[in-house]
Amino acid sequence: MTTTSSSDIFQRLHPRVYLERFLAENVRPDGRPLNVARDLAVNVGSISTADGSALVRLGNTTVVCGVKAEIAEPELDEGVRGFLVPNLDLPAMCSPRFKPGPPSEEAQVLSDRLNDALVASNILPLTSLSIHPNKAAWVLYVDAICINYDGNVFDAALIAMVEALRNTQLPKATYDEETGRTTCSRKIKVPLELNHTSLPVPLSFGVFDSTHVLADPTSFEEPLLDTTISIIMSNANPDRLISVSQLGAGGNDALLTCVEAARVRCREIVGSDIYK
Amino acid sequence: MSTLLPGQPVVLPSRGPAPQLGTGVYVRDACIRASLLGVPTLDAATLTIPRLRPRPPAPNSIVLGSVTRLSPLQALISISVVDDVPLPAGEEFTGVIRTQDVRATEKDKVKIGDCFRGGDVVRGVVISLGDTRSYFVTTARNDLGVIFATSEAGATLEPISWQEMRCPQTGKVEKRKCAKPEGL
Amino acid sequence: MQSGFDRRRINGPEESNPPIFEDEETPTWNVGMPRRNRASVDIRPIFLQPGLINQATGSAYIETQNTKIACAVFGPRQAKNVAFNEKGRLNVDVKFAPFSCDRRRAPMRDAEDRSIAMAIHQAISSSVRLDVLPKSVIDIFITIVESDGIEGCVAAGVIVASTALTDAGIEIFGLVASCSAAAVGEDIWLDPSLRESQESRGTLVLSCMPALSTVSSIWQTGNMNTGDVLACMDACNSRCTDIHSVIAQVLLDSI
Repeated sequence: MTTTSSSDIFQRLHPRVYLERFLAENVRPDGRPLNVARDLAVNVGSISTADGSALVRLGNTTVVCGVKAEIAEPELDEGVRGFLVPNLDLPAMCSPRFKPGPPSEEAQVLSDRLNDALVASNILPLTSLSIHPNKAAWVLYVDAICINYDGNVFDAALIAMVEALRNTQLPKATYDEETGRTTCSRKIKVPLELNHTSLPVPLSFGVFDSTHVLADPTSFEEPLLDTTISIIMSNANPDRLISVSQLGAGGNDALLTCVEAARVRCREIVGSDIYK
Repeated sequence: MSTLLPGQPVVLPSRGPAPQLGTGVYVRDACIRASLLGVPTLDAATLTIPRLRPRPPAPNSIVLGSVTRLSPLQALISISVVDDVPLPAGEEFTGVIRTQDVRATEKDKVKIGDCFRGGDVVRGVVISLGDTRSYFVTTARNDLGVIFATSEAGATLEPISWQEMRCPQTGKVEKRKCAKPEGL
Repeated sequence: MQSGFDRRRINGPEESNPPIFEDEETPTWNVGMPRRNRASVDIRPIFLQPGLINQATGSAYIETQNTKIACAVFGPRQAKNVAFNEKGRLNVDVKFAPFSCDRRRAPMRDAEDRSIAMAIHQAISSSVRLDVLPKSVIDIFITIVESDGIEGCVAAGVIVASTALTDAGIEIFGLVASCSAAAVGEDIWLDPSLRESQESRGTLVLSCMPALSTVSSIWQTGNMNTGDVLACMDACNSRCTDIHSVIAQVLLDSI
């Protein structure tokens, strides 16, 4: 913010009317059409202390995600399954809305939704994380941190988690039945056995004033929206829905508009370098 | 003058009287130095490096804010614009307009409820840094007071005098301490 | 290692351990040998970029090879729940990303976060003009995305915080540069990596305002004699002049 004008002051004092005036012209304050998401940029594998990592920028929203692999004893009734533990942190650094301390309500809700999305897509069969039945299995801690919160952190975080998992390599692990110890090799590393035809591609929307459906809302738009809709598609087939969620009221029309826009976005993402 | 970094000495163009020091410059060991990144300007006798980022209110700052709470003694406002620079959402400062600071005349007859309502947008001037909680703000000037308010019927009120506003839908008159509209 | 169940997070198993490697790396370096990869007085290249976090008043990101740190500055904010103060207050908060170190750091503040925050606070606070910020707070939030040694994190943290403060338009007396050094054998190595500080007898981090020829903080640990300390200070101080010009250049390029 280097110069200020009366329109900036008007936006600050009357955000709702400000947004209404743009939408009446079928355009968003940042110049986007209503159904278009922001530019997406992904950078993978830059963090050497992580077993896999990704940095995602969705417009100005920035999320960094790292995977750390540890070894644990499987649950008694799930002897051949490992663990996938995704969490999103919304630290005080990313927005004036958050204060330092334990996870905010918003962070808890988003972590739950991210976990649901990863489970629903079955991106990583947990049996593939088994090292030795009932004795040892991998635990993948998938930690995403929002660095800059400019709206729609869910989409950015989910893409960051998927890309970090795609970037992850585990050392080859062997369980020794005599000693009961698991040892790993530094030399041999193997990528995760991901379900490459079922990577979740998200697109979230907000409904303003029960009429305007805004794709990929910014942090200015988000507080003014009464309904949030998230569509998650499968990368291999833009007709396959992995999950649809709607928080708040809205007609069928809105949902259909969203599915159509999500389909377009899915093709766009799958056609780019991301998820390749 | 060229762009300076914090800590760099300010080289004044010509010999003249020592300038007054404004924002963005300081003196240490008889040397004037920059404390902000930018180009120093000499306006009248005051040397400054302008700060364009949002700043906290200071005495004489013109502030805009919305009324958040009323009591018989004062109105609390949430300051969102300081000297024409909007503060980011979530970074508001709390201001207070005490009964004696609402208007310049008949100060003892001021009834807060007849001057402000919750949600009104008010233009004021900071008198002092106030107490621990809030900055003291005055509206005792013609151009200060309510600049935007919604009527009981939900329409935007129009000012008709310095202490009354009218609802364009119902025609009902509501009491406010209005700011004189700009350009009148 | 998951430290207990936390209902506010997605939880893993009760206990998990980092992998144990059968083929532990054999050390190829011994005391007395010259430094690997760079000369004793060389520092790692600095990539510094102000203004990436648009939700903050000011921000910066720094990368010195494997050390990666993001910093956001908020304020001046209204001081809440404190007595009226003519001077402003500076608050520094440091967080390690769970994946920033060799071992996973469970998301709980530990002592290391706080000691780094304190070291950075000490190096920065004398540079900020708190006298022009009555009853205000400046919040500096630092996230360490990847760490390659504590000394490097403190030095890079100071540089990134000073850059972010300038980007935020907070009045400061001067830019703060910072450099670390380690005493290894008979040698002084600048900007040691994690492995190098582990091999050292002691380390030192010096922060200063080169424009004012003022030192703002010295943080020394380990077993060093006075001669070592003075040699480290000299080496760091002269390298800070170069670091200062890096900060200056990126700030001038940002406007």
